[in-house]
Amino acid sequence: MIDFINGTAALFGDPTAVMLFGLGLIGGMLFGAIPGVNMLTLGAVLLPFTISMEANHAVMLFSVIYCSGVFGGAITAILFNIPGAPENAPTCFDGYPMTVQGKSGKAIGAAVSCSAIGGVASAIVMMAATPLIAGWAVRAFGPQEIFCLIFFGLVVSASIGAETLWKGWLSVFVGLMIATIGTDPVGGVPRFSGGSLLGFEFSSYYLSAGIHFIPVILGFFAVSEVFIQAMSIAEGKRKRPKASLEFPTVAEFWSVRFTIVRSMILGFFAGILPGIGATLAAFLGYSQAVRWSKTPERFGKGELAGVVASETANNAATGAAMIPLLALGLPGGALTAMIMGIFQIHGMEPGPLIFMNSKELVWVTFAAMFWANLCILFLGWLQTKTVVHILNVPFRWLAPGILLLATIGAFALRNLTIDVWVMFLAGAVGFFLRRTGYSAAGIVLGLILGKLGESAFAKSMQLMDYDFFGFFSRPICAFLLIAGMFAILSSVWSEIRGRELQKALID
Amino acid sequence: MIRSDSKADRPERSVSLFPLFSKPVLEWLFWVLLAAMVYSLTGNFDETIAEYRFGATGWPRVLCAALAFGASGQLIYKLTRSQPAGTAAGTKAPEAEVPAEVLTFRAGLQRIGVFAAPFVYLYVMPEIGFYVATPFFVLAILLLLEVKRPRILAGVTLVVYGLVLLIFTRFFYVALPVGHIESFYDINNWIIVLVRTGM
Repeated sequence: MIDFINGTAALFGDPTAVMLFGLGLIGGMLFGAIPGVNMLTLGAVLLPFTISMEANHAVMLFSVIYCSGVFGGAITAILFNIPGAPENAPTCFDGYPMTVQGKSGKAIGAAVSCSAIGGVASAIVMMAATPLIAGWAVRAFGPQEIFCLIFFGLVVSASIGAETLWKGWLSVFVGLMIATIGTDPVGGVPRFSGGSLLGFEFSSYYLSAGIHFIPVILGFFAVSEVFIQAMSIAEGKRKRPKASLEFPTVAEFWSVRFTIVRSMILGFFAGILPGIGATLAAFLGYSQAVRWSKTPERFGKGELAGVVASETANNAATGAAMIPLLALGLPGGALTAMIMGIFQIHGMEPGPLIFMNSKELVWVTFAAMFWANLCILFLGWLQTKTVVHILNVPFRWLAPGILLLATIGAFALRNLTIDVWVMFLAGAVGFFLRRTGYSAAGIVLGLILGKLGESAFAKSMQLMDYDFFGFFSRPICAFLLIAGMFAILSSVWSEIRGRELQKALID
Repeated sequence: MIRSDSKADRPERSVSLFPLFSKPVLEWLFWVLLAAMVYSLTGNFDETIAEYRFGATGWPRVLCAALAFGASGQLIYKLTRSQPAGTAAGTKAPEAEVPAEVLTFRAGLQRIGVFAAPFVYLYVMPEIGFYVATPFFVLAILLLLEVKRPRILAGVTLVVYGLVLLIFTRFFYVALPVGHIESFYDINNWIIVLVRTGM
């Protein structure tokens, strides 16, 4: 506690630190909310300037950008169905339908509050137990556990947004299959980038780099939304969503208290694991909210708990992601890797010794993350009051801007036109997927986790000498696999039961 | 006349006419053919990896099998679901049928245009450059979305284009395509220089 107070005093007692804190907070929010750019763009732009900053200031600035950037993407996800970052994708599922129903204020209010709650809780646990948790998580989670966690994540998230369980699974398989395009993770063998099909020779060096998930996300969510709205305009059916400033009530928050706690725990543990991070955290939080809800049929149609689950989980992952970085020197994602770079620029080595050698830096960072999450609450509410008025602008005027932002976002990723083609194709496919009951979310999740899952599976097999039952000799793996299998069986059972119920009702 | 693809009535009709070409069977066929095609493509990189027994093809082939299995599961589920419930083709209550929607030729063209415009833009952009192609794309989308007043067309195009130039070209220095055709290349670069004036 004393360390935290000292950290807070050091942060707010230094005018430069306060200025950088504010810059990081507002910059992260803005960059998170603009679809073409994200917090990584801001991080990349600012990284060279950190050389001339003090190490404390630089690490603190990036930590604040991380917290506010993850939140920022929720705004466009809710208002325009465009997730600012992959971790905001599940926020679209219920956030955008809420906007269509004229409840944008409630959705943004819930996103703001729950991002802050998730982030603050995560920061508190981070301060209390960094060395302990990091040591345990990294020792206990090898490739086998990571593979089983991904299996579990895919199993519980498979049916999100799909009409039936089968359609959900088929969507996930398609995503996993798209993820195999590029190179094989073990031997680096090029896959699907050349060869012959039915006597036709083909070759594409673009495909050697694989299909990136950002253009696919932009296509499925942003471009397909423009197509759908354009069709509604052509058919004369479009209704303009009403801008609303009505925030969620205390009773509404109370009704989702378990969702908040569950998503916080899930987000935190997903955040600790290197490479898993906020995206799986958000999907897991959402899928578990659906699973435990008494009214799962309402999800995807504008359920407040959907926004709450996704936003609590992804922000809970931010504090957790700092744990392996600070305690063990293991960055879990791109932004934490940049923070690692800052440490190296300043000749420091993150790891257990950092708590002794650079205590002030650690506690200024912890305090900054804590206060940044609290500030999200107030700045976010202020933002809600202003940003929802964008909905008063006719969609016809906004559509070209949305398409251009998505185009630039997809192109700027790797400076490849193929990414923009992928995005527009994904948009067209997404349009038909929505009409046929398949799940865009399932494909995206499969695509994001596919490469990581295959790599973890290959390493697991090598480590276990190709013994599949070796998974069951590890307690965490056994638990995750059994829980995953149970989830499959219970989903199949509910599908059959639903069918019998339907038959009984008709009879 | 173009008929809309209203999903409520079309599958039911096809089931009643010819079960082999019902929507579930065609859907199954699509997935199985896709899995078979991907499987045959894996032959192009069927190489042995010294340190990994399953090789580069192991994972994609398992996914092909899973896709075929999932498609078959879906087919069985759909076929068994529709029969006992008495909602199979032709038995659907007439009041449940959604009347087919008739679109005008113009609306049909508008639909096709909305889908085609981004692809045309994408096709010409590498040749004539982002900076030249974009205002025309914005204008095309606005026209397709039935914005008709010239003042609004010009205003929205200017604002959207101006904001994109300001944010991405002036402030973030995002490198966007400048075209392959010489004259367009020059125009694009001239626009970039103009936007970055004073920086």
